[in-house]
Amino acid sequence: MPKSRNDILQGTLSLLVLKTLAARGSLHGYAITSHIQTVSADMLRVEEGSLYPAMHRMEQDGLLRAEWGTTEKNRQARFYSLTAKGRKQLAQEEESWARLTEGVRRVLRYA
Amino acid sequence: MSWLRRLRNLAGSNRHSADIGRELAFHLSERTDDLIARGMTPEAAAQEARRQFGNYGGQKERTRDAGVLTSLDTFVADLRYAIRALRHSRAFALIAILSLALGIGANTAIFTLIDAVMLRSLPVSHPEELVQVQTSDGGSDVTNPIWEAMRDRQSVFSGVFAYASNDRFNLTTGGEPRYANGDAVSGDFFRTLGVQPELGRLLSMTDDRSGCEPTAVLSDAFWRSVYGADQNVVGKTISLDSHLVRIVGVSQAGFNGLDVGKSAQVFVPLCADPVLTARADLLTNRSEWFLTMIGRRKDGLSSERVQAGLRLIAPAVFAATVPDGASADRQTTYMAQGFATAPVGTGMSALRQQYSGALLALMGIVALVLLIACANVANLLLARAASRQRELAIRVALGSARGRLIRQLLTESVLISAIGAAIGLLFARWGCRLLVAFLSTADKPIYLDLSVDRRVLGFNIAVAVLTGLGFGLGPALRAARVDPNAALKSNGRGTIHGQRRWTVGKALVVAQIAISLTLVVGAGLLVGTFRRLATVDPGFAPDGVMLVRAELPPGSPDGASKLAAQTDVLRRLRAVPGVTSASLSVLTPLTRAGWNGELDVDGYVPRSRKDAIAFFNETTSGYFQTLGTPLLAGRDFESGDRIGSPKVAIVNVALGLRFFSTPNPVGRVLRVKQGKRTGDPVTIVGVVKDAKYNSLRAPAPPTVYLATSQDTAVGTSLNAELRVTGGVSSIVPDVKAVLADVSPRVTVTFMPFATQLNDSIKRERLLATLSGFFGALALLLAMLGLYGVMAYNVARRRNEIGIRMALGAAQQRVAGMVLGEVATMLVVGLLLGGALTVGATRLIKAFLFGMGATDPATFGGAIALLAAVGLIAAYLPARRAAGVDPMQALRDE
Repeated sequence: MPKSRNDILQGTLSLLVLKTLAARGSLHGYAITSHIQTVSADMLRVEEGSLYPAMHRMEQDGLLRAEWGTTEKNRQARFYSLTAKGRKQLAQEEESWARLTEGVRRVLRYA
Repeated sequence: MSWLRRLRNLAGSNRHSADIGRELAFHLSERTDDLIARGMTPEAAAQEARRQFGNYGGQKERTRDAGVLTSLDTFVADLRYAIRALRHSRAFALIAILSLALGIGANTAIFTLIDAVMLRSLPVSHPEELVQVQTSDGGSDVTNPIWEAMRDRQSVFSGVFAYASNDRFNLTTGGEPRYANGDAVSGDFFRTLGVQPELGRLLSMTDDRSGCEPTAVLSDAFWRSVYGADQNVVGKTISLDSHLVRIVGVSQAGFNGLDVGKSAQVFVPLCADPVLTARADLLTNRSEWFLTMIGRRKDGLSSERVQAGLRLIAPAVFAATVPDGASADRQTTYMAQGFATAPVGTGMSALRQQYSGALLALMGIVALVLLIACANVANLLLARAASRQRELAIRVALGSARGRLIRQLLTESVLISAIGAAIGLLFARWGCRLLVAFLSTADKPIYLDLSVDRRVLGFNIAVAVLTGLGFGLGPALRAARVDPNAALKSNGRGTIHGQRRWTVGKALVVAQIAISLTLVVGAGLLVGTFRRLATVDPGFAPDGVMLVRAELPPGSPDGASKLAAQTDVLRRLRAVPGVTSASLSVLTPLTRAGWNGELDVDGYVPRSRKDAIAFFNETTSGYFQTLGTPLLAGRDFESGDRIGSPKVAIVNVALGLRFFSTPNPVGRVLRVKQGKRTGDPVTIVGVVKDAKYNSLRAPAPPTVYLATSQDTAVGTSLNAELRVTGGVSSIVPDVKAVLADVSPRVTVTFMPFATQLNDSIKRERLLATLSGFFGALALLLAMLGLYGVMAYNVARRRNEIGIRMALGAAQQRVAGMVLGEVATMLVVGLLLGGALTVGATRLIKAFLFGMGATDPATFGGAIALLAAVGLIAAYLPARRAAGVDPMQALRDE
């Protein structure tokens, strides 16, 4: 199956979700996709089919907390926010991402 | 939108699926709004939002992150699919389900019997604590003096009781008898077992006092069937062998005494047994071995401690109960014996002793039949998987995981076996009843609890699942290995893969042939055994002989009037129209009853006590003529053989050879040992041909026939033998009238001698019938398997055969190719089967009569039969192969 061009690298989705929630506080799923898309200047597009299963898994793992709330358009939506455990996870994932990109950078430079 | 379902299930444990639906609906509407804001029409926007959402429908299913709910969901989907698939191929489903139903049904039926006869615990509290106490000298029965001495001295049981189970009470007074099985039980019977009353009270210590008034407790089943669960039954009387006995209560439902296969219907106190059985000295006699002793181990006492406790009291018990008139030798061995114990948690059973071996042999047979049935279904599945190759290939090409595919196929095979097992359970219920009816005899009905308990159900389900996985796994793995490219390209008619796939099919057929050989040889041996037993010369001519057993009312006349009465009865029986000869005797042949004793013959020194033993019967004149045993020398009893005249006997050839070293010892003298004393000299006046005594299997033992007319002992029953012209039953009314005339309270039972003879080889008949049936079934299944594989093979190779023929192969050559393939499978199967069979038939050696476990004729016959059946199965496919029209076959390509 051909991967879509802007498919998000496996494993980075949770990092993006955690970072987004850390930066913006409480958000619903659609806002998270929009945020990632906007901030990455349309370079990254989050697929719904990956986002929701991932967020629910993270919720089950205790990284996220979710509540029903009302949007400015007066629609019922589920708002996600970080837990303490989520923050810790974010720090870890940021660090390992930094290591990974550094490693890749070095390889690209010297190999 | 399968990811949606996955998501729903993933979160399912703590979130409601409607919740997720709402969340996703929200997402969808936000996206739609956005798209509208960018200038799309609302319809187009909604469609586009949905399109983006559904993008993942074709995504590969990642079953590994499925929760329990997902599995369940998939399972339901698989099940639906399986049902649909089976509906599409009804013939396949029917054959597969039916052959499994037969196989599983047979296994469940035999297991139900094994469960009922051997495994089921007694319905009493803590049956595992119950212990039977036997004498170590071998007898499981004890005398009443031993029981009382043991009871008064023991300290290892919290409760202990003895009972006699072989009582059969006649419920009627005169006329056609109706019997109830009775247990005579000691006072603590019910308390020790922990059985509760259903109604009234049970027997207790106060009921069991010497010289007691008889009272009776009915079993729940008897109360329901005979008294219609009458609530006012307590206080009524029941007639037991013409004694009116007061009913005091009804025992707990489900409790039918301790003997499996025989249900106790009436319980009476042991103290009443002498009165009811009209044997006054029953309880004081030190040679009446008729009681079973059972104790309940005290809390926490190990069986070693129990044995130690019994060892301690054994010398005192046996010293106090030495049989009267025992020789000095006998006294010493008697007093030196100890007690042995045996667990009774699953009850006592003569049935078990008689049939457990046969049941286990049958279990082996039906297990093999099931294996063959499984192989057949596996072969069918393989063929089906081959024809479904395209379907599976398309599913793989569309992204279905192979694991899912395997699960799907396994669901199908387990579904088949589950339906088979359900039908099999019905077959089993029906088959069990049939078997029990088959084993019951008129005078010994068998009662077994054949209800489906947890163990039987568990067995049934386990067999279903195991067979489903067993025959399904191979084909499923193979089918899932399909290469979509090749399968789709080859237009569903595999050419390269064909060869490999069918080696598995052939291996299955070879296994079927091998197992079938074992079953056919086993059946041959068992049928041969039965045939030999049925045709062995018993030493009499049973056809046309009716046996009559009369139970005399208690209070019989003295010896002299007894003899007069007997002479009178005999005279009148001989006068009944249709009776050509008649006689009376103490025993009739081929029952379990026997009478033996030691002989003392001048000039014969027995090497062991066993060598001095002869078997006895006591008859009137005409006995041999009636039964058809030829008198070889000397004379029959005659009117001159009276009380006071010199004692005479007729013996058989075996006795002459053993004790007198001549087949004709007429005129010689023998004495019968009675305890220490040796009886009066008895002169041999006649010699008869050897006739079977207890069993058709055993050779006729040395037998002495004494004269009824020289014996004044009074019995409570009478056996008469009548040789009848015409139907044996035609004389029944007249004989009844004669006996009723003698005593209005006499009860009479009739049994054609041929039936008694057949009943004595019931077990052999059962084994022969069932093994023959299953052998034929195995043969049929193997034939179907072979035919199926070859027919399929020929169909698949039609192109190849067409090419061969186009290139000049003759029809015979093509047919020969098919037959050659079959012959190879047959030879390999028969070789393997031969080895298997030699190992397996050794297990049934004990059942065989007159033939060895490797009887060459049986082996040869079975091999020839299988080879013939195999070639018949191959005939049609071979003809079809030879009939292939090359033009047609190649045009299709």
